[in-house]
Amino acid sequence: MRMMKPERRCPNTGKKNEILYGIYEENRKLSGTSPQRKRPLLPKYNKSKSYGTFMVLLALFFVLVPAFPDLQHQQVTASSTFSNERILFIPWSEIIYGRQIDNNHIQLSSLLIAKEPQLEVSFDARNLLNYDFLFKNEYARIGNIFGLDIQTIVIDPGHGGKDPGAVGSILGAVEKDIVLDIGLQLRDLLVKSGRFKVLLTRETDQYVSLADRVDFANSNKADLFISLHINALSQKDYNVTETFYFGPPSNTYTLHLAEQENRGSKVLIEDFNNMIKKIGDVLKEQESATLAATIQHSLFANLVKYDRIIADNGTKIAPFVVLLGVDAPSVLVEVSCISKNEEEVNLNDPDYREKVSVSIEKGIINYLTQRDIQIAIGDENGKKKYNKNGRREVTGRY
Amino acid sequence: MVKKSTTKTADEKLLVGIDLGTSRSAISADNKKKEWIESYVGWPKDFISRRVIGKPVLIGEEAVKHRLSLDMYRPLQNGVIKEGTARDEEAVQEMIRHLVELVKTEKGSKIRAVIGVPAESFKVNKIALRKAVSEFAEALFVVSEPFAVAYGVEALDNAMVIDIGAGTMDFCIMHGTIPSEEDQRTVITAGDYIDEQLFTFLKERYPDADFTMNMVHRFKEEHSFVGDIENEIKVEIPVNGKSTSHTITAEMKRACESILPAMVESTLELIAKFDPEYQDAIRTNILLAGGGSQIKGIGSYLEKALGEYGPSKVNIVGDPLFCGADGALELAREMPEEYWTEL
Repeated sequence: MRMMKPERRCPNTGKKNEILYGIYEENRKLSGTSPQRKRPLLPKYNKSKSYGTFMVLLALFFVLVPAFPDLQHQQVTASSTFSNERILFIPWSEIIYGRQIDNNHIQLSSLLIAKEPQLEVSFDARNLLNYDFLFKNEYARIGNIFGLDIQTIVIDPGHGGKDPGAVGSILGAVEKDIVLDIGLQLRDLLVKSGRFKVLLTRETDQYVSLADRVDFANSNKADLFISLHINALSQKDYNVTETFYFGPPSNTYTLHLAEQENRGSKVLIEDFNNMIKKIGDVLKEQESATLAATIQHSLFANLVKYDRIIADNGTKIAPFVVLLGVDAPSVLVEVSCISKNEEEVNLNDPDYREKVSVSIEKGIINYLTQRDIQIAIGDENGKKKYNKNGRREVTGRY
Repeated sequence: MVKKSTTKTADEKLLVGIDLGTSRSAISADNKKKEWIESYVGWPKDFISRRVIGKPVLIGEEAVKHRLSLDMYRPLQNGVIKEGTARDEEAVQEMIRHLVELVKTEKGSKIRAVIGVPAESFKVNKIALRKAVSEFAEALFVVSEPFAVAYGVEALDNAMVIDIGAGTMDFCIMHGTIPSEEDQRTVITAGDYIDEQLFTFLKERYPDADFTMNMVHRFKEEHSFVGDIENEIKVEIPVNGKSTSHTITAEMKRACESILPAMVESTLELIAKFDPEYQDAIRTNILLAGGGSQIKGIGSYLEKALGEYGPSKVNIVGDPLFCGADGALELAREMPEEYWTEL
């Protein structure tokens, strides 16, 4: 060990120039002076080459698509965007299942949505009250039947304080700041309508635990709960938008409930309480699913204008703590993926965030006004239901 | 190809390199002036203290001296500007303003700055930092601190810089290009952590002794070491108001060595991730920088620990206080004119 300068290893000025240029590029991106700001990192393609590739892939596309009817909608969305051939190299399986590979909680959710065991029972407390139709008929929404109204909306900008959430790699944009800005704008938009009381779980950059968020929503008697997040994927080229909602209780829980319901031949007070709770759960699930669908629809319709290859992952059921704990219908919006460089630049732009807020607001208003919307539910594979025309059933009238 | 900036421009504009540290910040200007300050900013707590102090804001040593009547900020405490605290951003601004004024000779001369910041802050606060500094500089570049050090000593290829600061210990592998995120790593066991450990150990051993964190910090600055030393370390600490001599050798050793496992582990991990053909080259060109590099024996300890994995050589920068600022200034000097003007 010596106390001196190390050997000068790099007499090569070419290398230095490269480094200086790297610093310049990095700082230029930060200061936003680039004319190519929208797509800073996309390499240029040889047009004639890409045309050939495009034709080959187009042919492949027509051959393969009929084999995957479930994916048809995604394919159609992307095929209208041939401005850049990169999109054709995205493996569909990764778009659809990307999150499942990526996030443990999605894998968990697929466990939860697996079919619950149908218990054969000779006596069911439900027979007494005959409220079966409420569970079986997805068009008869409990919220409508009881004429429930929405007064208080709680918006929950994710993360905050010591917890930055996802961080972008080129600008260092931070999830907690982005969602807070979107949340504040969303509040202002909703307040303007004069119809609701709108509360935020955090209005500044502060750390709020998940339990506190849940308590805040419940103690303020929230009628709707909307949690805002930004996603980050390890596959940096992909951008997806998706909305989660509170799913059915876990299998253990359901089994426990069923066990209690079937115990003995009399309707116990406890059983009755469970039934009431179940009505509440179904109400929450129905409303959450509808809200998720309207927000997702509106959000995707807006985002796709900016990123034509963004994937619409639709609505999914997931056991996020905030969604499970809040009594009110609750959804968690993963706006888009900050891991994609272009999307990070977008999210860093106040105008873009405003557009996101407006589209979420539109989704909420649509939910409140269009109560006859159909509900799309992801099955255990994360696939979505499509109607005969290959359109996602989530589509309502807007 | 890229043109070098001409001497003429250098005459008109003042080029500065700034090292914005968690504990100390330094500036090097191309008019040969060099200054450093403690990274503290303090605003008077109320109008009385405002009158007593007679200044709207105090910086560095002066702020530390008057800390009882000030709201004190150490803006990059954990290696990052704390988000959402406007005061921390303001504090960064004040520090830069102060540093620039220290080296500025003529009024109105335009400043071109390259600023080195802790690697983690570089990742998280790039935009905030640019905003904070843009007021004082005509043009500026923000780079990560270990990178500025590497550039200053031209350890640009197959080298590794370990910058042991107060808030963070930053690792950075240089391989002839601007380092990416994968080439860098930050751990938060650094100088401040040693202070905390030492404080706890001393409190355990001498429960009656009356000392503050500031005193512990001073002990560390004077006596820090890892491995073995010949003489016992003795310091004066008051007990019930009477200055008493205390031996703190074992505690000092334990506290300083508490940062070693993370250091060795991170170094090994970063090297292991690198191209196997160049791993030996990097292991034999490791450079320790920052205040922590002055801990006695730390270089040879690391050299020995890495020696089990192959040949290794660890150097220590000559001037830990200014090597970051000097490196940033070197960058500013060599930055082509068109890059400055285009920003």
